[in-house]
Amino acid sequence: MDSLTASEQRELQSRMERKQMKEFMGMFSNLVTHCFDSCVDDFTTKSLVQRETGCVSRCVKKFMAGSERIGTRFQEQQAQMMNQPPPGR
Amino acid sequence: MSGMFGFGRPQPSSSEKIAAAEQEMDLITDMFNKLQQACMKKCIPKTYLEGEINKGEGVCIDRCAAKFFDVQLKVSELLQAEAAAKGGAQGGGFGIGGM
Repeated sequence: MDSLTASEQRELQSRMERKQMKEFMGMFSNLVTHCFDSCVDDFTTKSLVQRETGCVSRCVKKFMAGSERIGTRFQEQQAQMMNQPPPGR
Repeated sequence: MSGMFGFGRPQPSSSEKIAAAEQEMDLITDMFNKLQQACMKKCIPKTYLEGEINKGEGVCIDRCAAKFFDVQLKVSELLQAEAAAKGGAQGGGFGIGGM
């Protein structure tokens, strides 16, 4: 991962941006599916009722919080791995 | 790993380097997504009575993440052992981190 030239950096950067966009779309559609599944299963009304709206907003909020927490643990683990690469190489 | 998409580039090593960096990013992103899916599924009940992560759920996530990494390491070890047993472990690419 060492020594990418400036133009290589730029190419990588633009690929990463495209990838991030794709990631975000994936996350969004996942979250919609998940919160819909978890919160909505009554179809006696046409639009979301208050209970469902509340559930969806809690669902999103909780997902974000969980995502952040997992992200922290993940980063810690990555950092730890950098310091001591697994044996057997 | 060379020349996988060798469309006559002026500097093949350049595109290779970018591809390697990209692949590593992919691996990390994928790992994170898998971890998140697994631990959210196991630790966050689907009832959404509250929007915050409560204490129990938080602890569950922490432990889940730790165990997920343990399993990752364990599986990688087992696969490596398997490959070694099958003869001449030619640096099987199952090691995590550090490519």
